[in-house]
Amino acid sequence: MATREMTELIAGGMDRAVELMTLAAHNSYRFRDRNTVKIISIEGEELEQIAEYCFSLGDMSPLAARDGRNLVQLMKEPCSLLLLGDKRKSDFNFNCGACGYRTCAELNKAEEVESLTANGPSCQFKNINLGVAANAAAAQAHRLGLHCRVFSTLAFAALAMDIITDVDLVVSVSVSAAKKNPYFDRHEYWTKDHWDEIFDKEFPTYNRGFIGAVEEDL
Amino acid sequence: MERSIKQYETDRLEAAKLAARLILASGTTSPRVGGVGECTIHILDDECDIEDLCQEIERMAEVKKSWEFFRRDAAMLRDADAVLITTSLRCVADPADINCNMCGKLVCEYLKEEERLPAEPDVAFRGPLCIFRATNAAYALDGMISQAKNLGIDFGVFWSAGAAAMRMNILPKDTGFAMAVAISITEKSPFRDIPKRYADINQRTMHDRMIMRLWPQFRSIYS
Repeated sequence: MATREMTELIAGGMDRAVELMTLAAHNSYRFRDRNTVKIISIEGEELEQIAEYCFSLGDMSPLAARDGRNLVQLMKEPCSLLLLGDKRKSDFNFNCGACGYRTCAELNKAEEVESLTANGPSCQFKNINLGVAANAAAAQAHRLGLHCRVFSTLAFAALAMDIITDVDLVVSVSVSAAKKNPYFDRHEYWTKDHWDEIFDKEFPTYNRGFIGAVEEDL
Repeated sequence: MERSIKQYETDRLEAAKLAARLILASGTTSPRVGGVGECTIHILDDECDIEDLCQEIERMAEVKKSWEFFRRDAAMLRDADAVLITTSLRCVADPADINCNMCGKLVCEYLKEEERLPAEPDVAFRGPLCIFRATNAAYALDGMISQAKNLGIDFGVFWSAGAAAMRMNILPKDTGFAMAVAISITEKSPFRDIPKRYADINQRTMHDRMIMRLWPQFRSIYS
């Protein structure tokens, strides 16, 4: 009798799961049936590059650094990252004004502003279509029993590094088959002292009896 | 009508009210950017409330050509048993402060300084909005859609209803962006298979012309 090891089964399952998530995202609801969302999945080397990039943003964006650090931990166990992207210009002709321009034509004519995170100005409903796709992928991951979290930081990194090309807006869905859920309650990254220090800095009045007092010596 | 069929009709409407609450639950628990709450979901399950909304949508349909399809939306919404409207409350005054440039203003400080579109009839949402924030509404929207699918309930998505509800001032005052999901518990989904000129020719107008108007005439002539 042929025996398949657990690691092999999990690796195979991850591949199928990512395929099914892509399918769910691809077939999810779209306004005006404008299905222009581009979806790719990345693993291994590209993920390492993304983690390094995020980590290098350290001072500029503590959030990105945290996610980069998290990704390094994540990659020790089976994981995958689904990248979803879309173009910024409107093809709806809704003329709704949410982007700050009265008509879609004005938005499409406006000067493009490039940056590392996204190219603007972008159509609100393009973003909604993209968000729905991301949520559908996450919902599918949930149904398949995978650990899952939606990251903008990792997607921004992938866009900045041209891992996903030909899009203006991105979002990513990270999935993992780790032994415990690696996305929430990540206490292991913070020592108690560090946590107390940051808390005191961010919420200075919390531990202080009298709000007017500033204790310089501390 | 047989008693049992009457009973079925009332149970069907009750199921729609119940389902709307469960769909609200799923929409509420769907992800939010950074875990910061900002979306509210409002249920309209009273026929009169839905009619008010449809009237407002039809008024908006007359504003400009690209909104002509609002009349069709209104015709579909009249067949809905309940309408759920999701809002985004932080996209106007409280940008996400991550300088993502989705709005095209490079950094959030510039977006805050930007002059917003005036409150005029041809402006549905007074942009520029913080798009990163408003995308939360997409998660709420898909949370509602996937719950409706799980419950096996027909749904339709209408941004016209969200914009109209904002005009009617029935949403929280901070609302910058809103979209609606309409649900229906009927044997044939009123949101699918929409023929041309649906705003003029639908079950309601067919009934009005063929039964309510022609039949009494036929009856008085041939009696």
